[in-house]
Amino acid sequence: IRGIPKLRELLKRQKGEADNALDGVPDVEFTYADAQSIQDEMAELYSYTEEEEFVRSKEAYSREFPFITSWQGLSENEKKACLNQLINKIDSIEDAVRIPAIHALLYLAQGAFEAGMSEDKLLKQSRENVFLMYSCGGLHLIIQLLNLESENPNSAIIIMQKPSISIVDSDVLRAYLNILYIMVETMRYDDPTDSEFMMEQREAFIFELSQPVYDECLHIILFEMVVKFCAGNCPYFPIKKILLLLWKTVLVTLGGTKEIDKVKRQARLDAGLPEAFDERVPDENGRAMTSNGASSNNQDDGTDDIDDSEFKAATRKPRPRPKVRQKDIDLFLDATRSKFVGFQISGDDSTLAGLPHPIHEGLHVMKKHIYTSLGEYQLNAEEEALERPFTAMKFQSKNEVCESLYKSLLPNIPQYMISLLKILLASSPTAKAKTDSINVLVDVLPEEMPTTVLDSMRLGIDVNRHKEIIVKAISGLILLLLKHFKNNHIYQFEFISQNLVCGNCIPLILKFLNQNISSYISTKNFIPQLDFPACVLNKKSEVTAETLENNGSEICCWRNMFSCINLLRILQKLTKWKHSRTMMLIVFKSAPILKRSLKVKHEMMELYVLKLLKAQTKYLGRNWRKSNMKTMSAVYQKVRHRLNDDWAFGNDMDARPWDLQAEEGSLKTCIDRFNNIHYGSGNTGEEIMNEYDEYDVNIHSVLDSSVELSEDFKNAYEKWLEREVFSAPIEWEQLCSCSFKR
Amino acid sequence: GVATSLRNNTLGTLFKEMYFSHDPISTIPGAQWDRPYIQQLIKSDFENISLILEPPEGQDLGVWKYEHLRQFCLQLNDLAVILQVDCFPDVCTQMTATEQWIFLCAAHKTPKECPALDYTRHTLDGAASLLNSNKYFPSRIICNLTANLNRYSTWSRNFYRLHYMHTYHFHKSICNPLVKYQFDHENIRCFKFSFTCRHELYAKYDHQSLD
Ligand SMILES: [Zn+2]
Ligand SMILES: [Zn+2]
Repeated sequence: IRGIPKLRELLKRQKGEADNALDGVPDVEFTYADAQSIQDEMAELYSYTEEEEFVRSKEAYSREFPFITSWQGLSENEKKACLNQLINKIDSIEDAVRIPAIHALLYLAQGAFEAGMSEDKLLKQSRENVFLMYSCGGLHLIIQLLNLESENPNSAIIIMQKPSISIVDSDVLRAYLNILYIMVETMRYDDPTDSEFMMEQREAFIFELSQPVYDECLHIILFEMVVKFCAGNCPYFPIKKILLLLWKTVLVTLGGTKEIDKVKRQARLDAGLPEAFDERVPDENGRAMTSNGASSNNQDDGTDDIDDSEFKAATRKPRPRPKVRQKDIDLFLDATRSKFVGFQISGDDSTLAGLPHPIHEGLHVMKKHIYTSLGEYQLNAEEEALERPFTAMKFQSKNEVCESLYKSLLPNIPQYMISLLKILLASSPTAKAKTDSINVLVDVLPEEMPTTVLDSMRLGIDVNRHKEIIVKAISGLILLLLKHFKNNHIYQFEFISQNLVCGNCIPLILKFLNQNISSYISTKNFIPQLDFPACVLNKKSEVTAETLENNGSEICCWRNMFSCINLLRILQKLTKWKHSRTMMLIVFKSAPILKRSLKVKHEMMELYVLKLLKAQTKYLGRNWRKSNMKTMSAVYQKVRHRLNDDWAFGNDMDARPWDLQAEEGSLKTCIDRFNNIHYGSGNTGEEIMNEYDEYDVNIHSVLDSSVELSEDFKNAYEKWLEREVFSAPIEWEQLCSCSFKR
Repeated sequence: GVATSLRNNTLGTLFKEMYFSHDPISTIPGAQWDRPYIQQLIKSDFENISLILEPPEGQDLGVWKYEHLRQFCLQLNDLAVILQVDCFPDVCTQMTATEQWIFLCAAHKTPKECPALDYTRHTLDGAASLLNSNKYFPSRIICNLTANLNRYSTWSRNFYRLHYMHTYHFHKSICNPLVKYQFDHENIRCFKFSFTCRHELYAKYDHQSLD
C-alpha cells in the first residue's frame, strides 16, 4: 500500500516530465518563411490610424476621373491612359496637381477597392494595376520623387517648428512609400496565372530595382533615410514603412532562403568544394554513432535514470551528421604527435609516421566528416592572394547584385548598422519610453490624442503592433544581409557583423530576449476588422472593447515568432567560432535567458537556442552542466555534433584567456585590408604593385613629359641639328603613302 | 558594287543626294539594317508616317521602337538648336507645357525646376545616355523588350512635353517659319511623329485632358 502513492508519484513525475520534455512535439504552430502571405504583409503596412486615408485616396481618384463609373470595367488601354495621366501629373511641380494624383495612384495600386468586393478580387486588381503602373514607367519616377521629398529641406524646417509631430506630417512621403511597397511586395511573388509577358515584366522589375536611379539605388536612398531619422534631422519620417520597404527591396533584389541556398551551392562548386555537406550517414558509421552516443550519455550524468529512458524513447528524427573542421583535425594531430612522437609538423595531416594504429583509424573517421565552409576557403584564398599578389586568383564575385550592394553600402556601413540597432532598441517591448531617445511612433500617432478609453485602447494596440512590425523588419533585414554577404565573401560578412557587435548588438538581442518570450510570441496586437483590406471592403463594424479583447485564440503571432527566430539566428551568426564573442555571451549571462526561451516549443527556435547554449557550455562550468542535464541532453540530441568537441566535458574556465579588444582588432585589420585591396582607391594593395609597375612605353607619355634641356645642349644645338636631323635622310612621303582609294 | 556604294556618301556628295537609296530591306547590309531602313523611308516620303512607323514583318517590336526613338532623338536635337534662338532661360524660366502645368526636369538625381531650354537639353542628354547605355541596351539587335519599354514611355512623355507641347504652345512663331523656310520639311514629320507616338502609347483620355 505504501508503494502505490510512491509509484503514482513516480508516474506522475514521469508524465509531467514528458509533457514539458524538451523533445516534446512542438506546440507552436509556426512555419518559418521569408515573409508572410501577401495579404498579411500588406495589412501590416498600414497603421490603424491611417484608416481614414483610404477613403481620402478613393475620393482623390474620383475627382481625377469623375466620368469613370467602374475601374474594373475599363479596357487595358483605357486603364493605361488613366495611369499615364496620373503619372504625368505627378511630374508636376505644383503640389495642388501632384499630391491628389499621388493619392489617386495609391488608390489604384491598392486595387481600386469598392465596398463589397471580395479580397481575392481586390488582390488581383491590385496586381494588375501594379503591372500596368510599372509598364508606364511608374517605378523610376516614384523612387525619384521619394528621394526628392526626403531631401526637401523646406518641409523639414516647417515640420520641425511645429510643437508636436504626428502622422499627418509624413503624408506625401507615406503615399510614395506605400505605392513603392505595394509594387515591390506584389512583384515579390509569382502567381501561377501570370502570363509570359508578366513574368518578363517581373524579371525586368527586379533587375531595375537593383539598378541605381541616377547614382543611388533604392536601398541606399532608404538607408540614408534611416540614418537621417536616427540623427534626429527628420523625425517625421515614417520609419516603419521605410524599414519595411528596405527589407522587402533587399529580399526581392537579393532573394530569399531559396536563392541563398542556390547561390551558396553554386559558390561552393565554383570554389571546388563539394556542393553541400553530405548529410547521409553511411551504414556502418550510423551504428557506430548510436552506440557511441549512448555510452557518452551514461558517462555524462549517471545520476538520473529518467533522463536516459526518455532519450531512448525519443529517437524520432535522425540527428544531422557530424562535421569536423580542418582546424580541429590539426589540433588533434598536434596533440597526438606531441604525445607519441614528441614533435609537431604544422600543416600536414597525412604523415602518420610513429602514430599507433588506433590514431590512424580516428583520423580516418575524422577525414570522412571533414567539412570546409565557404568562409574558410575564402579566408585561405585571401591569404594566398596576399602572398602571391601576381599569380593568385583575385576574388571575383559572381553575384553582381550582392556585390554592387556591398560596394554602395561600404562607405557608411557603420552608420547604417548603428541606426538599425538604435531603432531596434527603441522598438523593443522592454524599452523604456525615454524622452531623449528616438521616437519611432511618429507615423502612428494621430494629430489629436484620443479622448475616449476605447480610442486609447485602440491606439495602444496600434502602437504595440507598430513596434512589433519594426522589429520584424529590422531583424529580417539584418539576417538577410548577413546571410547574403556570408555567401558572397566572408570578410563582407565579418565587416557587417563587426559593426553590429561594436554597436552592442549582442547585449541588445539578449535584452530583447530577456522578457517573457512565450507571451511575446502570442501577443494579440491586432484588430482584424481594421486591417486592410477588411476595413475598406466590409461594412464598418463598431470597434468595441470586446472586439479589442477577444480577437483570436491562443495562436502564435507570426511576426513576433519570426523576429525572435531571426534575432537568435543573428546572435548565433555573430558569435559562431568567435571565442571572445562567445565569452560575451557568458559575461552578459545569456544562459538563463536562453534557457528560459526554451519554453517556447518550436523546433527551429529551440535549435538556435540550443546552438547558442552549446557554444558556451564549456565555459559555464561543471556545476552548471550538472544542474542542467535536460538542456544538455536536448543539445546532445538536436544540435549537430562536432567530432572531438569537448562541449560536454571541457573545463576551459580560465584556460583560454580572452581579449575582446585584441581579437576584434586583428579581425578589423584583416577586414580593412580586404576592403582596401578590393574597394579602396590609392590603397595599400596598389602600393605594393607600384614597385612592379610596367615601364610606360606609350608614345603619348613621351610627348607629354617635359624635358629639361641642359645649357650645353642649348649652346651646341645647331651642331646637333646638323648631325642628327639634317644629315639623316627622312622620307616624309612615306607618311602620305596610305593613299585614299576611290 | 554600285548597289551598296549608294549608302556610303563619298567625298563630294551633295546634301540632297546624301543617304539616298530605295533598297529593299533584304539588300541592306549588316545586322543593323533598321536604322538605314528608317532613314531611307523618311528620305523618300517623310509625310507617310504610318509607313515609317510600320514595323517590317517579323521585326522585334522592342528593337523597332528603340531604333525609332534613336532616330527621333537625333532629329529632336535639330529642334533644340533652333529653339535656342527663341527660348531663353530668362523668359521660359520653367518647363511649361500648357498654361497650367510646370514640370520637373527628371535628368537630375533629385528633380529640379530647370528652365525650358535646359530641360530640353537635359532630357536629350539623358535620353542619349540611356539609349547608349550598355547596361540597358547591350545590343542594338536584341533589345530586352519588357525591361525597357517602361523606360521608353518615360522618355517619350518628356519628349512630347518639350517638343510638342512647349514648342507648340510657346514658340509658335518659331514653329511655323521653322517648318516652312528655315528647316526642311522633315521636321513636320517630327511633329507628326511625336504626335502619333504619343497617340499610340497613350490612349485618348490622356489626350483630351492635355490638349
Ligand atoms: Zn521656351
Ligand atoms: Zn535639368
